Amino acid sequence: MIPSAEAPWAVELADFCKSFRPSWSGRNVHAVAGLSLRLAPGQVLGLLGPNGSGKSTTLKALAGLLEPTAGQCLVCGHAAGSDSARALVGYLPESPVFAPHLTGREFLAYCAGLSAVGAGCVAGVLAWSGLADAAERRLSTYSRGMIQRIGLAQAVLHDPAVVLLDEPAGGLDPEGRLCLGRLIRDLAGRGKAVVFSSHLLAQAEELCDQIAILGRGRLLAAGTPAELLGVRPETAPRLSRLEQLYLEKLHPHE
Amino acid sequence: MAGHTLAGALRMRLTLLLAAVAALLVLGSRWLQVFNFGAAELKFIGDLGLGAIGLAGTVLAALATAQLFFADLTGGAAACVLTRPVRRWEYVAGKLAGVAALLALFTATLGLVLAGLLLWRGHQLGVVPASLPVLLNACALQWMKFTVVAAVTLFIASYAGSALFAGCAGLLGAVIGHLRPFAEGAMLQWLRIWPNLARFDAEGLLTSGQTMAGVPLLGLAGYWLVCMLMFGGLASYAFKHREF
Repeated sequence: MIPSAEAPWAVELADFCKSFRPSWSGRNVHAVAGLSLRLAPGQVLGLLGPNGSGKSTTLKALAGLLEPTAGQCLVCGHAAGSDSARALVGYLPESPVFAPHLTGREFLAYCAGLSAVGAGCVAGVLAWSGLADAAERRLSTYSRGMIQRIGLAQAVLHDPAVVLLDEPAGGLDPEGRLCLGRLIRDLAGRGKAVVFSSHLLAQAEELCDQIAILGRGRLLAAGTPAELLGVRPETAPRLSRLEQLYLEKLHPHE
Repeated sequence: MAGHTLAGALRMRLTLLLAAVAALLVLGSRWLQVFNFGAAELKFIGDLGLGAIGLAGTVLAALATAQLFFADLTGGAAACVLTRPVRRWEYVAGKLAGVAALLALFTATLGLVLAGLLLWRGHQLGVVPASLPVLLNACALQWMKFTVVAAVTLFIASYAGSALFAGCAGLLGAVIGHLRPFAEGAMLQWLRIWPNLARFDAEGLLTSGQTMAGVPLLGLAGYWLVCMLMFGGLASYAFKHREF
């Protein structure tokens, strides 16, 4: 799906670069170097890559938590981090720890207040995430999967156009991953653009409309799963086709 | 944001521990008076009680501020807040207001314990202790001092890399603030920009039995406001440019 001129890309990265200086005297580290990507509304983009490849940095820049060193990060045509862009973004950080003393409902009501949306949407989001029965329990009693789901619920509470998820399936059991996958596909079905990072290649292959493989801050491969895997024969039965491609891109000379 | 910070702070073990230690010290001042060197007993209880509140409150202000700030940063809760239409200065102001509310509760609770002890012992000795307005005035001064320490710590935390560093540096800032009146030498002139926490010392009120009012009170309130705005503003500025 390609957006019209009136409706811009949901997410657009143009030559996005981000450098850090780990210490005052140290050299710059290029976390992301010249990344260009575009995502239309209603599509799911999976960012794949080893630790330190720039996945979280890219998501944080889109969420407005980091400023690009160079290049552009746009959310629905607005510069990431601007007031208008932040109203359009929902973000789930990696391994979140939310206020353990609050119940699920209280936590979402707090988030709704921060987003200046009525608390009336809390019940709907709780039901959508499958947490209605646990709404009155404190977050300290939630399992890892439930924390991820309440995290996803807070990210979509204000009905954002773009949902950014940093390793949402990290530490989840197979059932939790299946549930998360259903929620992500449901968001895409409702026209949201979803960008998530993951180390779970099989899940990414199943969920994503677009895949980008990053390595050392550079884009190694990008496209639809069909484009990336279409001509790839099933040669190694123990690895999925995307896993083969991933390893080839990261280690091209082996 | 402030209410959320306060609710989290009230559940911290550090808060309960310091409140318990301070309460024990305040109550213990009744029996510690055997170490007194001739001063009246009620004055001794008042001085030691306020000293205990001051010490525990200063530690709580620095450590709780640092801990609450970094708990949100490392747990991703701050990121969830800041991707919403919340400005960074609002986030910092909310944190500061929440810690200030915690410190108000802490000071009020221990002030009540001290007032109860003074009334009880005064009744036993047949002596009228310091009046309630004087004690309230003293507790208000203590609270103002704690909030300045919290603002200094928040400023340090806004660019620091760890809660431990921010907490320790905040405590060091409080020590410097208490030593500030001694910064008379030419080499120490630069310390004059640092808040003078000795201005908030309240022991003199209990001794004189007089409340602070009028121009001195307005002057001190203005000084407190300047300190809060300066360090709150610096914290907001540093946090605005912080990437995480």
